[in-house]
Amino acid sequence: MIETKNIKKCYGDGCKVTALNDINIHVEKGSFVSIMGPSGSGKTTLLDVLGCLLKPTSGDVYLDGKNVIGLDDNELAVIRKEKIGFVFQQYNLIQSFTAIENVELPLRIKGKSKWEAEDKAKRLLQMVGLGDRLTHKPSQLSGGEQQRVAIARALANDPKIILGDEPTGNLDTKTGQKILNLLKELNQKEGYTLVVVTHDPRVAEYSDKIINLLDGEVLNETYPNGSREHEARRGRK
Amino acid sequence: MLDLALKNIMRNRTRTILTTLGILIGIGAIIALGSIAEGINVSIQSSLQLTASKISVQQAGAGIFGMGSELTNDDVELLKSLSGIKDVVPIDVSIGPMTGFAGPDYIFVGIEPDKMSYFAGENFKMYQGRNLDEGESGVAVVGKTVADKFNTQIGDSWSVKDEDFEVVGIMDTTGVSDIDSAILVPLQDLQTALNKDTYYSIYVIPDDVKDTEKIVAEINDASDNLQALSSADLARQASEIVDQIRFFTFGIGAIAAFVGGLGVMNTMIMAVMERRKEIGVMKAIGATNSMILRQILTESAMISVIGGVGGILLGIGAAIGLGAFSGGQIQPYVTPVLATEGLAFAMFLGVIGGLYPARQAANLDPVEALRYE
Repeated sequence: MIETKNIKKCYGDGCKVTALNDINIHVEKGSFVSIMGPSGSGKTTLLDVLGCLLKPTSGDVYLDGKNVIGLDDNELAVIRKEKIGFVFQQYNLIQSFTAIENVELPLRIKGKSKWEAEDKAKRLLQMVGLGDRLTHKPSQLSGGEQQRVAIARALANDPKIILGDEPTGNLDTKTGQKILNLLKELNQKEGYTLVVVTHDPRVAEYSDKIINLLDGEVLNETYPNGSREHEARRGRK
Repeated sequence: MLDLALKNIMRNRTRTILTTLGILIGIGAIIALGSIAEGINVSIQSSLQLTASKISVQQAGAGIFGMGSELTNDDVELLKSLSGIKDVVPIDVSIGPMTGFAGPDYIFVGIEPDKMSYFAGENFKMYQGRNLDEGESGVAVVGKTVADKFNTQIGDSWSVKDEDFEVVGIMDTTGVSDIDSAILVPLQDLQTALNKDTYYSIYVIPDDVKDTEKIVAEINDASDNLQALSSADLARQASEIVDQIRFFTFGIGAIAAFVGGLGVMNTMIMAVMERRKEIGVMKAIGATNSMILRQILTESAMISVIGGVGGILLGIGAAIGLGAFSGGQIQPYVTPVLATEGLAFAMFLGVIGGLYPARQAANLDPVEALRYE
């Protein structure tokens, strides 16, 4: 589903600061992958590259078999619209919009009519357990509820991949667990491919594969469920 | 996306209303001032239509409204001696007090009673009573505006100095303020009352309308003291003046509206700054740069179009108010062209004012915008 080849991202004159160096990763269709690593290890930069928000300095990124390197801003926006759903740590909901209006937004961007978008947004909010909060504004919702709205929004244009940037990072343990269960359910029952940047060891435990980054490079890949543990020894001492 | 644009501009209601007011007042000024120019234009045009073939002679150097013009019986005789002339009609005037801003309250016009139609137009009709009769004295016919304003009835009297004039007729409205504000009295009576024997103006009526320009040239050649103008000349001069008034009034309004446009720009720049993160989210979920550009432009155009429509309504209201305030002497007129110009100008301001912030928003880097706190 996602494959990167020798991704490098650096900033400044003559590439003074290297954020990502020679990243080669592979995300299977329908799998749940966590990206872990200390602050500054390049997790978020990698997620931005996978999400077509950021163009790498060099290397190739294949989404669904298609190389997205060389596409212009508009073509990348189309890929984000068609294939990717984002979930952020800060939820990033539009404060003046109600829950349902926030979920409608990607559909409106896609060109759907108001009533069509409303209909679908309602079903998605019911699915994430917020059927009774449709017309609440974000400020009237708890953190967990806001993140559910954000997940519903990420699902609105039927993406193939959901990218999460610390989706449980702002939530207490219990609420974080619920969000995690929801994400796991989406992965296992609905078949969404999930890539999540996280510090949360419980998130990592749920995933099929953990990619550990350090200083912009892949330190190792581990398989917490043991299924392919034999593959995961690369780089580990 | 219009519903979203409306929702977005209504987030900061007070700011949006104030910004809209800026445009509204500017466009209102354009419409209100423009309506006065249009009203003057309509009045002049209909007055010129009534006097299509008339040549107006005044003392040279007396300006378009002929203030201070004094013509003598010798001038009348000179004009009568020219060939191709059907009639020569001297008139005199006595201007009433100015209590409003739109010209005198009334004007006494002295004219030979059987020549009335040369002043009031060939098709003028009486509203009540009768015309002046040949050889009559001490009688008057009043215009409708005067009659309404001073509640003048048949049988009332008006006086100039010591001479009294009994009102025998009221003319129907003509739409020409000079005529509707006139009190027509026999020429000799007005001369007696004012104790003078000069005339304000002399109308020369050609036998054949086609000779008008030729006769105008002849009169101007015949005497240095005389200045003849055909209605075509008057029309030309009048339309030049109206154009200048139009230009001037639009200029004043446009300055006000332009300041309103700066307000729109300011508001949209602030809105884009506040919504940085949200624009990042929009991009992350698939909005293209041009979509963001259009979104912001739609919002700024919406603010200014709402202001423009409000401004047109305000302008129409002000035009009606001005008309009433001037006692019917100015009839401000909002033409469809004027209203369209006002709306187009508002839209133009919205797009121009929105362009810079919209480009800023469209070019935001999604990664930076998303992480902006």
